[in-house]
Amino acid sequence: MSSADVLSERQLDRAFGALADPTRRAILARLAQGDAGVLEVASPFPMSQPAVTKHLRVLEDAGLISRRRVARQRMCHLEPGRLAQLSDWVGSYREYWEESFERLDAVLEQMRAPTASPTEPVPKKTVKKRGEGT
Amino acid sequence: MNTEIETPAGEPVIRVRRFFKAPPELVYKACTEADYIRRWMGPRHLEVSECDVDVRVGGAWRLVHRAPDGAEFVFYGELLELDPPRRRVGTFIWEGAPEDKAVETMELEAVEGGTLLTTTMVHSSVAARDMHVANGMEGGVVESYERLDELVAEEQAPA
Repeated sequence: MSSADVLSERQLDRAFGALADPTRRAILARLAQGDAGVLEVASPFPMSQPAVTKHLRVLEDAGLISRRRVARQRMCHLEPGRLAQLSDWVGSYREYWEESFERLDAVLEQMRAPTASPTEPVPKKTVKKRGEGT
Repeated sequence: MNTEIETPAGEPVIRVRRFFKAPPELVYKACTEADYIRRWMGPRHLEVSECDVDVRVGGAWRLVHRAPDGAEFVFYGELLELDPPRRRVGTFIWEGAPEDKAVETMELEAVEGGTLLTTTMVHSSVAARDMHVANGMEGGVVESYERLDELVAEEQAPA
């Protein structure tokens, strides 16, 4: 999966909508352990098989699982790529804030120290720039 | 310290929450005054090349991030409400999509040992919200490539 592979708004809505339900999250957790037939997926839930099938359809439409017929069973398979795309989607926004806040921690620390100098910059993590050391 | 980020499905909202080991007065100052903001805002690959905040109701703010390739990202807005050290409300506009005027509310709550900061950004539409989050992604990709460059450079450097 390429990070540049941006999901459309519709795909994002579907995927996040599909993940917003505890039963569907439980189904994904089960499938993370391996492929399973509909009956096996349905067994832990106090609901009818058609109700579970409906959840599976939502997950399939969201690209989170795929289903294929094996003998007389419809086997369900987790599609981890879509989950990776979702985590990537918020990933660098998260990175922006996490890295900012780490530096804010340092600024606050300096503000609390009695010897704080308000103009002293907080050093960024040292980064080797492109071309350095060559 | 854990940063919580929520992007509720179907709502044009981004909510960011984080605990800081400092009293609300200091967090408010560090998040509102330009001299402090320029020292922490942004990930490592983006410098703050400009930062101005006219700290009064109706005052303008402007922040410019500069990427290593010289690309600039300009953000600006107006302060609508100042209630230190509890609450600050302002508009937030990215120059790349000025039709989306978002409203950002920062709330600070004194909790044991420090302050809980919550910022809630309400965009003009879900699509605009998604764009804002997805644009952060570009930066992340740039940074990933830089890390890759560093790694390659290290591998190639004579021992």
